[in-house]
Amino acid sequence: MGSGKTTKEILKEKLASEEHTPLYNPEALEKINKAFDEWKNTVVREQDRENWDVTPKTILGSEIPRGLLYTPLNNEGFDYARDLGFSGQEPFTRGLHANMYRGRSWTLRQLSAAGSPEEVNDRLKMLLERGATGTNLALDLATVQMFDSDEPEALGQVGTVGVPIDCVEDMEKIYKDIPIDKISASIVTHYPRNTSIIFPMYLVMAERRGISWDKLPGSVQNDFIMESVVRSASEYIPPRDDFRVQCDNIEFIRKNVPRWNFITLNGYNLREWGTSGITEMAVAIANGIAILEDMTKRGHDPDWVGERLAFFWSPANDFFEEVARLRAVRRLWYRVMKYRFNAQKPRSMWSKCHVQTSGVSLQREEPMANVARSAYHAMAAALGGAQSLHVDGYDEAYSIPSDEANLLALRTQQVIEAETQITQVVDPLAGSFYVESLTNQIEALILDEIDEIEKMGGLVDVVDSGWLHNKASRYIQKEQAEIADGTIKVVARNYFRDPNLEMPEIWVKEFDPELGKEMADKLARIRSQRNNEKADNTLKALVDTCKGGGNVMEACIECARADVTVGEMRRAFVDAFGLWKTPIFA
Amino acid sequence: MASKEKIKVLLAQFPLETHSRGIITVAGMLRDAGMEIILMGNALPEQIVETAVQEYVDVIGISTYCGGELALGGQLMKAAEDKGIKERTSFLIGGIFPPKDIPELKKIGFDGAFLSATKEEIVSCIEGAIAAK
Repeated sequence: MGSGKTTKEILKEKLASEEHTPLYNPEALEKINKAFDEWKNTVVREQDRENWDVTPKTILGSEIPRGLLYTPLNNEGFDYARDLGFSGQEPFTRGLHANMYRGRSWTLRQLSAAGSPEEVNDRLKMLLERGATGTNLALDLATVQMFDSDEPEALGQVGTVGVPIDCVEDMEKIYKDIPIDKISASIVTHYPRNTSIIFPMYLVMAERRGISWDKLPGSVQNDFIMESVVRSASEYIPPRDDFRVQCDNIEFIRKNVPRWNFITLNGYNLREWGTSGITEMAVAIANGIAILEDMTKRGHDPDWVGERLAFFWSPANDFFEEVARLRAVRRLWYRVMKYRFNAQKPRSMWSKCHVQTSGVSLQREEPMANVARSAYHAMAAALGGAQSLHVDGYDEAYSIPSDEANLLALRTQQVIEAETQITQVVDPLAGSFYVESLTNQIEALILDEIDEIEKMGGLVDVVDSGWLHNKASRYIQKEQAEIADGTIKVVARNYFRDPNLEMPEIWVKEFDPELGKEMADKLARIRSQRNNEKADNTLKALVDTCKGGGNVMEACIECARADVTVGEMRRAFVDAFGLWKTPIFA
Repeated sequence: MASKEKIKVLLAQFPLETHSRGIITVAGMLRDAGMEIILMGNALPEQIVETAVQEYVDVIGISTYCGGELALGGQLMKAAEDKGIKERTSFLIGGIFPPKDIPELKKIGFDGAFLSATKEEIVSCIEGAIAAK
């Protein structure tokens, strides 16, 4: 840490000197306190008094204890300007834009894919015709793990959970006839290394269509936590190298594709793997801090970097906690950018976010009940001020969504957006004694976890040591035990479970052996048609860039132009960096 | 196998599998039930069998979410047969796959194939399979 102080210490100092507009005067608080005590001791039943604080038990919950009733006493030092302000202004608690959803609804962005590049192109177009306002591309397992469709490891898995991409030609098929200079594309690349490999294929596709890179709107994931912590696989590079690749990608995209969000700090998958909503946000922000430090060392202005950072969150069951989390993290990120990095532009203090409703919270038993669960998750996202939303399919525990489930999820979004009228008023839960108190508490808890990480040497170190893996592993096992013993109530699974429960017939995506063959044939054709000497040279240059200095994405662009495949690039990275074994605890 | 000895379980995933929540959960359940767990992570079927031979495990458990369960499961059985451990080893598989694959998975040699299961169901399946060996 440059200043020698932790983020928490810096914020504490700076906030103490901020101008104050306290909401409550001490005299009023004293009167309220007296009346509250009297009410609590005379009106409230003894058993409720004794069990005043209850710890909520739910899947992915944070277990922040909740009182029976909230009053100004829960938030005595509440300062309007410092803690709330107005929408579109610092500290952005109330939303990034002054008019929020009156100006523009959140982006309705349903994750979709699976099947061949041609089929996925049809599905993207279907969702856009029915009112989706952005595309969101899921990759198949082989592509996520950077294997070619014809490698033995990919056997039986081509196109099952996403679309397979081996080379630029596949990218051309997926986005055929979609105006990529107007419709923003989210590409779920997961890892930094994967982003270095896949995103250049998108850029070369645009190049071949004659669309210049500075016109392209969209986002990639590019989060080293995904590779080093959340996902498991047989071939990973060490976290420190992966972090460097993440930062190389950021630098390249910021320079060359200025409208593109070069990272989606992915809290979502970490939480869904197994952490509370507090750790989800602490890790994502710690990564954001590490990135800004690295970029500053490379000579870049924090404002230049900050403008294009985006976050990805998972809202789960604890409704008010989820609303409060989105408000809290918006304020905290603003404070980090302003006080730790001295950002000047409001835009670089924004924590724009995409939100996907929680998948792990959805159940196999009576899956139609998941429609209700996801609708509440989505409602929390909207009340919390999200910029972009995906609602999970009710068939989440069975398969990737069927077209029917995907459409129903889009309809859920549209009901919230067009019928419930919650979009008319900005940040409607502000001022609630409960929500504000929870927002403050959550912000403080996230900052405590960031502090813990920084004191252990920073995010890369706690990943390398397995600390984060271990933390998640313990969380997963505790949660499972609490579901098994009924401490966590899950409707239809352990709570009012139907004694004659039968699993419904649900469409499950199956492997299409024809697709595996088509992809393999295409690879054979590409490898015989391309200039293989040129392809080899670009791969050698990639290994050199990884080992020496230079930007790895720049080297990958040349690979993509030479029709080098995903698997070939993966092996170049492994040649350069070697393999790292993920520490798994159980 | 004598019932008083600790049952030894190798838990693994095929090479590309990205979801590990399930395998961590099951590892915890089985350890609670008094079994010895080797959590291998991702590996090719041949490598899984190799480790099973070296560690002399009673059970191989596979966690799968993204397809390939029949193709790679078949390779696992073949490798186990080649190494001569198929008869003495119990095989379980769990995760997300088409329900219609369950009979086929059992036919190729899995003693249990679960789309969801409680700790008791998994333990009882393992004990039953070992008793039948």
